[in-house]
Amino acid sequence: MLLHCTRVHWDEAGISRWLEPLASRAGELVEVFGESLRETSLSWRDGEVRELAVRREDGVGARWRSGSEERFVFAPGVGEDSVREAVRSLRAAAGRSALPIRPARGHGEEEAPAPEADRWVRRLLGTFSRHAPRHRFRFRLRTTERRVVSPGRASAVSQRRLISLEGVFTAASRLGDEERGFAFHSPDSETTADELRAALTAAAAPRDRPGPAPEGEHDVVLAEGCAAVLFHEILSHPLEAGGDGSPLDALAGARVAPAELDVSDDPRRLDLFGGYEADDEGTVPRAVRLAHAGVLAGRLTDRAHGGVSGSTGHGRRAGASEPPLPRGSNVVVAGGSATPDEMARRLHAGLWIEEFRGGSVDLSAGSFRLHFPRARRVRRGALSDELGPGWIAGSMIDTLRRIEPVVSRRVRVCRALGWCAREGQVVPVQGESPDVLIRRVAVKAGL
Amino acid sequence: MTPPDAGDAFDALRDALERRAPGAWELYRKSAESEELDSTPALRRRASRREVGWAARWSEAGSLRFVAATSPEELRLALDQAAAIPAAPEDPPEWPRQPAATRLSAAAAAAPPGPASHRAEPPELFGTLANALSAASRGEARLARLSVRRGRVDERIGNAAGLDVAQSQTFLDGLATASARRGARAHESRVPFRWDSSQEPEVDALALARRLADAATLPLADRPTPFASGQWLLDPGVAAALLAALAPALRGRRSPRRPAAGPAPAPIRIADDATRDAPYDGEGVPSRRIVLFDGGEWTGRLEDLRSAKRSGRPPTGHGVRSSFRTPPRASPRRLFFEATDPSPATTLLARVKRGLFASALTAPARVDLERDRYEIEFTGISVIGGRAQSEVGGAMATGRVSELLRRTVGAAEDLQFFALPFLVGSPTLLIERTSFE
Repeated sequence: MLLHCTRVHWDEAGISRWLEPLASRAGELVEVFGESLRETSLSWRDGEVRELAVRREDGVGARWRSGSEERFVFAPGVGEDSVREAVRSLRAAAGRSALPIRPARGHGEEEAPAPEADRWVRRLLGTFSRHAPRHRFRFRLRTTERRVVSPGRASAVSQRRLISLEGVFTAASRLGDEERGFAFHSPDSETTADELRAALTAAAAPRDRPGPAPEGEHDVVLAEGCAAVLFHEILSHPLEAGGDGSPLDALAGARVAPAELDVSDDPRRLDLFGGYEADDEGTVPRAVRLAHAGVLAGRLTDRAHGGVSGSTGHGRRAGASEPPLPRGSNVVVAGGSATPDEMARRLHAGLWIEEFRGGSVDLSAGSFRLHFPRARRVRRGALSDELGPGWIAGSMIDTLRRIEPVVSRRVRVCRALGWCAREGQVVPVQGESPDVLIRRVAVKAGL
Repeated sequence: MTPPDAGDAFDALRDALERRAPGAWELYRKSAESEELDSTPALRRRASRREVGWAARWSEAGSLRFVAATSPEELRLALDQAAAIPAAPEDPPEWPRQPAATRLSAAAAAAPPGPASHRAEPPELFGTLANALSAASRGEARLARLSVRRGRVDERIGNAAGLDVAQSQTFLDGLATASARRGARAHESRVPFRWDSSQEPEVDALALARRLADAATLPLADRPTPFASGQWLLDPGVAAALLAALAPALRGRRSPRRPAAGPAPAPIRIADDATRDAPYDGEGVPSRRIVLFDGGEWTGRLEDLRSAKRSGRPPTGHGVRSSFRTPPRASPRRLFFEATDPSPATTLLARVKRGLFASALTAPARVDLERDRYEIEFTGISVIGGRAQSEVGGAMATGRVSELLRRTVGAAEDLQFFALPFLVGSPTLLIERTSFE
């Protein structure tokens, strides 16, 4: 997404020269990363903004890496003085000649306050009053501009404007009101408000009172794009380079799933929440096939883990105060040819799950667990009872093997998937997927 | 290092806020420096961070507003930006006044760097901890990663009622990750730690290694719980995590559900006392001890300025800023179970006729206060007749939150604190009649 103003004004050639002594030996990596973040956060309750907060943050992170040693320096501000401070500290830490001290200079004209937040307040007011008048939502509009300078490489700029809406609202069920969770994450675009309205309308549809989720092993269809959450946990995380010893490490090139399954990680999809034009090391990203025709294919790498083939453009940071890590972005699962009806018939009896709220993966154990807030029971190929919250859990490899070789043609974006935490660093992610049928999944009812 | 003009910028912003919102504003400045050593067998990363943050809260057009920025100039722009957004009316809180006999010195106002100790590199613990972990786990677990961070935080808080206070804190904390393998089974566990200088002279690597070893290796046992119900003996770390999960009940608008009736009051109190950590909370209210649960009854609530205004009760000094980026919220600061009649942990173990000892959590504690339910997944050891029997790889304790405290029948004298992420402490606890899955 191209925004109209830039806030990180740098003399990139000059900064590159400051960094050159830190990249003079073979195998050395060095870069300066600057971020300017603007965020408006609104806490809504029943049609009113009860709390509002505006954040304006600038920061610079400089990193030098050589073999098994890494130095990282963070300084506040995004002007030349902050860059000089970070590079000076880095050069001193790496034992290189000091960068001379020079008086600070300003860093350009500041833009006028953006009107987007005000426009979103008006839009949300109408949407909430019509579809979810009783609610507790937190809305965030975040604009980031990131710039990376590294000697010998073209400098890179990435600008994003993201919206997030999370919380609970009161919806009608056939036996009275009930509280339901809702999450929606999307890049801000002309169609976002319409998409949000449609998602909230669907979430507010009347439902029967749920019964408890059945425990034990069940066949499950993951529908409405929520299979992207599963593949994010069991493929994207284990295939992040630098991760520690997942069972998939030993299976590169092996068939782990039916040939109908194609899963990629594609940061270039700027229509998805996890997309970007350049990663946080300045690399232009490429799509990486995680599973191609059911065979484990690529890995997600950054500059430090790219080896001879180089980074795939997945070096990501939560912010300027953190060094980059190889991270997933948008999980994209290719569609098949089955219709939703065929999927239900093929399932015959089991669970139909359309959303997950949170999940985790234990890479060493090769296991995962995902929490679903509701599900539907499928009997004789037709949707029946509403079911309450529960978990699906299991081994990554067994779950991949139990995917049926039939994938629906209907591919949906999972807007409920928005933020992913690893080692305390939270980055935007998302995905899209067709409906996927998995046999014998362990299901447990619970909070 | 804090820029030399930080004090002047604070004064200028204070004037700007008084012009914008006469008598109804608060200004906060934080500066922090830290050194972090992050080690794995393959990489050593040293990170130096200098953070500066400014935040303001004020009442304008009848609404309370909050802004945060990394410089005074950005904060001024944020003030204008926030003022343009319509919000629901809310009366400003009663801003605290300057405590008697305290006047901020010019030096403190400028937040000079403190003693050099906080800028020293964090201790090299990887080798020591790796060896201790290997010994404690009989070679089954290895240290996969260790992050240790040392630093200092300086804060200054001013408001329209004339408050102008400053405080500093140093810290040494970290996160240890261990992975364990037994045959085809593997497990990874993470243990956060925080060195409490008021309790320990230095980081206790052996105690940390034992916690890591249990958390990493006990889940490798393939035995489920042998009992569907029984006594539940909780390691201080597990009990502290349970207390942390109950924390939302201590600050909500409604009081927690009354504990179920029982034969005798629980032999524990729940208290919060951060007086030894910092003289003020994040809103400049003096820190004080508050007892939240005693004699089997809820006796207090955690209040920040806004919740105190709504409830009509006085603020308790629990306006916590998790970061300069977020407005203060009523939250625990140093929350702990306190034994009213402590006994040695071995005595509690001897009282277990048939039950489970929970050594470490295997998933975050889940507490649903609306439905009055809890689910705690843990790993540990089965106990019969006061003697340890066998490892239990995974078990889940479930029940009603309102019954949990009433069924607590014993607390030991081994109170320990954990960073979860606020400080939470507990001794070993014994709970009767628990359901296990």
